[in-house]
Amino acid sequence: MTFKRTTRPATSEIGGGALYLAAGIALSVIFAAPLIWAVLRSFQPASLIGSPLSSKNFSSLTWGNYSGLATGPTNILRHVWNSLIVASATAVLTAVVATLAGYAFGRPRLRYRGAGVVFSLILVTLMIPFQAILTPLFLELHVLDLTNSLLGLILFYTAYNLPFGVFVMRNTFTHIPQEMEDSAAVDGAGVMRTLVEVLRPLVVPGMATTVLYAFLFAWTEFLGALIFLTSDSKLTLPVALLNVESGTYGSVNFGFLIAGAVIAMIPCVVLYVALQRYYIRGLMSGAVKG
Amino acid sequence: MLPNIRNRPTRLVESRSTTADVGAASFARRPHRSSRLHAGARAGWLLSAPAILFIAVFVLFPLGFAVYISLTDWPLIGSYHFIGLGNYVQLGSDATFVQSVLFTLKYTAIVTLPILLVGYGLALLVRSNRPGAIVFRTVFFLPYVVGLATESYMLVLELQPDSGAVNFLLSRLGIAKASTAWLVDANLALIAVSVLVVWFASGLTMVLLMAGMQGVPRELYESAEIDGASWWDKELHVTLPLLRGTIALSLIISVIGSFLAFTQFYILTQGGPGTSTDTVVMWIYQVGFVQLRLGEATAMSLVLMVVVGLISIGQFIFLRAGREEGQ
Repeated sequence: MTFKRTTRPATSEIGGGALYLAAGIALSVIFAAPLIWAVLRSFQPASLIGSPLSSKNFSSLTWGNYSGLATGPTNILRHVWNSLIVASATAVLTAVVATLAGYAFGRPRLRYRGAGVVFSLILVTLMIPFQAILTPLFLELHVLDLTNSLLGLILFYTAYNLPFGVFVMRNTFTHIPQEMEDSAAVDGAGVMRTLVEVLRPLVVPGMATTVLYAFLFAWTEFLGALIFLTSDSKLTLPVALLNVESGTYGSVNFGFLIAGAVIAMIPCVVLYVALQRYYIRGLMSGAVKG
Repeated sequence: MLPNIRNRPTRLVESRSTTADVGAASFARRPHRSSRLHAGARAGWLLSAPAILFIAVFVLFPLGFAVYISLTDWPLIGSYHFIGLGNYVQLGSDATFVQSVLFTLKYTAIVTLPILLVGYGLALLVRSNRPGAIVFRTVFFLPYVVGLATESYMLVLELQPDSGAVNFLLSRLGIAKASTAWLVDANLALIAVSVLVVWFASGLTMVLLMAGMQGVPRELYESAEIDGASWWDKELHVTLPLLRGTIALSLIISVIGSFLAFTQFYILTQGGPGTSTDTVVMWIYQVGFVQLRLGEATAMSLVLMVVVGLISIGQFIFLRAGREEGQ
């Protein structure tokens, strides 16, 4: 997965620089406005959020929705914690398992009979949408005592992030020059020591891509969490907000709903903006080879 | 710091001597080569075993199990009986299933072209490295990263009659009344969700198309310029033909996404009014996990999976045909 950034426009571009900038800025406003607007709304007092919009309604902004979510029956911190645990564990587990498999599939030294077939089989499972096998998965997890369990959700998320992760990590390992591995082997380093001491710095970018995808998938996933988690205290953030939306804890409080949505949005925005080159690179490697 | 300084020179010396020796060493070791390869192969097996295990347990086994369940009248509790293809035969007479299929197709037909066109336009804007391109790209892709669940909750608030921002804006523009109740009318709800999804998904199409556009060899544009081609000529006769595969890929991804739609409708309409905005996955969820008719729900799921699989295979054939044509 060598990614070269193009350092020049691929073609002569449409219009002048001013037109380009104007269009870019106008479209950026359109694309970002709903998210920025939601942040602003989340600071409106709950009593004003349901009344017709006017500038007066934004004169007294407050943290009230956030403190109400944290201290009230919604107990948002518990759900943020659940989501953090699930997303972090999914990210780490996916990265470790995908790295080991990518190492095995990407280095000739570790090639075994049938490795190519196994790798293709793993890639083919990319085409199996988890939405289509929820019933057997539910029964299986139930028998394993893994329904209504964060661990069960983590294992499920990991399995569905692995095909892409293995694909990315195999590409990463394939592009490591053979001499790196040879010199380590002659130094007497075993397979694992070669990975940890010699190859590790070279595969960190691929691991970052894998971690980022798995984390964001697990943080935003809705349907699986809705089905596999049943008790309120286990719910991850996107599903917990359903209770806020439907007013399970008394009347519907739109202030709580929008503040909860903003809390769910923040890690996505921060992680993506900080690590976006890994995200985009992962997508592009999939697109070019896919 | 200290160990680093001390290690570096020795390491360099070591590796230099070893690279020089590699040829001789591997030659000398040739008789043992097969046993060494064997050890490597065993390590390779062990390293890939966890991934294989995960996929076998949580993807392949459930897939086989699904076929089995779909041939029974499986209830959540109690015994089950084989009923052959009964569940599949019955799908045709399940009026809500048929309706959900039609609704999902309608939704897919509405959003697919706008996502492609908006994504293409955005890709044209951000494919160069002009100042600001990276910032624009980041912003356009942001809705995809935040996810449909969060954004659907935001939209619930803004679609409220009289207090939501959507009606506020549209009534100022004279398009809709301030009291329009979007989520209790199937057509209005479909429009609202479609706009949400185009905003959400066009960033993904943009990135895919941008990757394709950046891969077009520069020489092709240069020779077109020598022939006096305008910007339009180059886009139409150079970029577009070479983007066929990428366009197909982004169409496939967006169509599959639409076929599997659940979150946005579940949060915004709950399928209502009635079952008029139930998508296929929502109906599968309803039959399987609310009505607990697992056999039927699984049969529907497998039909959905085959359709999605056929689209993916169609993509492969299309891409291969395109590639051979190009040669």
